[in-house]
Amino acid sequence: MKGLSHLKNKQFTALVMAMILASITGNLFANKGLEIAILSDKNNDDFIDSSSSMTMNLINKRGEVVTRKLRFKRLEVPTDGDKSIAIFESPRDVKGVAILSYAHKVKADDQWLYLPALKRVKRIASKNKSGPFLGSEFSFEDFSFQEVEKYDYVYLKEEIYQEKPCYVVERKPLDPYSGYTKQLVWIDKENYLVQKIHHFDRKSFHLKTQLFKDYRKYEGFFWQPHEIEMINHQNGKRSILLFDDVKLKNGFTDRDFSQNSLKRSR
Amino acid sequence: MLKGLLVMSILPAQLVVGEMIGELSFDNRYFFNVGLQEQEKNHSSFSFSPEIFKDDSNRIFHFKAKLRRDSEDSGRNLNDIQELYLINIFEDKEIKFGVSKEFWGVTETSHRVDIVNQTDFTEGFDGEEKLGQPMIKISFERPWGLLDIYALLGFRERNFSGIKGRLRSPLSINEKNSLYSSSSKNKRVDFAFRWSNYYDNLDIAISHFSGTSREPRFLPSPNKINALVPLYEVIDQTGLEIQYLLDSLVIKGEVISRSGHGARFTAATYGFEYTQVGFLQTRMDLGWVVEFNHDDRLESSPFVLGTRFSFNDIYDSQILSGFIINDRSKELGFLLEASRRIGECCLLSLEGVYFDDTDEDNGKQKLFQAFMEDDFLRAEFIYYL
Repeated sequence: MKGLSHLKNKQFTALVMAMILASITGNLFANKGLEIAILSDKNNDDFIDSSSSMTMNLINKRGEVVTRKLRFKRLEVPTDGDKSIAIFESPRDVKGVAILSYAHKVKADDQWLYLPALKRVKRIASKNKSGPFLGSEFSFEDFSFQEVEKYDYVYLKEEIYQEKPCYVVERKPLDPYSGYTKQLVWIDKENYLVQKIHHFDRKSFHLKTQLFKDYRKYEGFFWQPHEIEMINHQNGKRSILLFDDVKLKNGFTDRDFSQNSLKRSR
Repeated sequence: MLKGLLVMSILPAQLVVGEMIGELSFDNRYFFNVGLQEQEKNHSSFSFSPEIFKDDSNRIFHFKAKLRRDSEDSGRNLNDIQELYLINIFEDKEIKFGVSKEFWGVTETSHRVDIVNQTDFTEGFDGEEKLGQPMIKISFERPWGLLDIYALLGFRERNFSGIKGRLRSPLSINEKNSLYSSSSKNKRVDFAFRWSNYYDNLDIAISHFSGTSREPRFLPSPNKINALVPLYEVIDQTGLEIQYLLDSLVIKGEVISRSGHGARFTAATYGFEYTQVGFLQTRMDLGWVVEFNHDDRLESSPFVLGTRFSFNDIYDSQILSGFIINDRSKELGFLLEASRRIGECCLLSLEGVYFDDTDEDNGKQKLFQAFMEDDFLRAEFIYYL
């Protein structure tokens, strides 16, 4: 404030008013993107817990398919990001391997890997999240929960996608360890469900397209896509994630998502 | 073993209708030279591990056995129950009863703190292959951390390569006449606890073990020339594990202090692990491990440099390399291992191990002298049932 002390009172007030105005109008444009992201995220509120089986089909350029199976459990943490466990079922050599994640709204997620052959729970650096998940076109990052606070948003436009009127929002990951510089997200106007994401890599190249299909409603409010497809435009490969046996209200507690619980998983 | 079988026979029959899986492994090691004690160049082995797992949410049953037969070395033959336990989960605690494996520690190349299970000493250098240990374990998960309290029911002796085996000590080990400092010998009930917790990016664990040392000392055999007998003493060992995540760098260390095994001594392993994700703008990861060792009982403190290339392909292809460098004695050990999945059922790994044995005697204690003729190539094929 010392540098401003030579300004007369009136001038100072005007300056402050101008600054406030500028920040409000600036935010008005930025905020529409954030507002849509918040409404979209609300779809995930109050589900308490969920479990599902996942089948992941990895498809190469020639159309050859290999299949991976996982089980997935998730627990809502009201004041922070969610807790989740992914347990690998196949291929057989990684059966029983499990990843425990505690997502956080702002700071880096906590992650542990369980290696059943050694009966070892190993803390892993969650910053290493841009790498492929199980050899698929999904990265670890694509698998983690996309907390609203982890991005900057800009509202771009409205667009019809697959006969659905959608908002198109640009978001930029705040985490410098993200594999992406920017993402374009299509969110439908009716239910605020994510329909499509374009992922741009560190060279701002449109690397991957992620499609969310077959949304079904559980318990009257919880929307779960039953198919998520990730197309890699660079290598021509695709990965398709299919969800099955989706169940809410399993009665999970924090104890089902502890490091100790990993040791019980096999 | 017998006790284990007994536990199994009294388990309610419906518990044993869990998920059944298994693993068949074929392993061939080719040594470039005849052994120092005239052992054969080619060693094959075969192992079979059936497994049953059942999770009734509050009750878990797990059985896993390992049977191994070796073409040359009867010391590598093994019939072991690795897991045969029940876990009961109560409101405020969980109780594990039966035979099991428990891992303690944070470092990668050497495991100082890990003491619950006996090491299968005929399987690799890393000491990660273990024998099942009968136990009762009670665990408390609280806001202040996880506390595991163990009663370890009886003792498993370490298994060593026999006289026809490779990578063995120059003197043969007379396992049949093992000595104990405790009058209850291998029936002694040992106790241990481990407390662990994490605070943001810091993981910490403190443990204590009071019982029969898993690591024996050796005495000259009274009734056989050029042979040793293992002496299993009663020890007290306190361990500390610390790990800190600094962005994508993992700094870790573990240290023990042990008494009752000669003079009290300290031993430690510490270092870091770092992964370069998307190495050279590809989908490959390159992981680095650097670990230093210290042991009051040894002159040398070798350090290990390890790398792991993960191709992140559908075959989970990996190439591991490791150097053990013993600066004082100018010794070097080198390991290279490549592995990949084959189809959905199988895994193939190829491994080469080389010891750079400087013949010159620089008066320093040597680590690899006994292995100077033991450079080898190994192929392992695992079929998952």
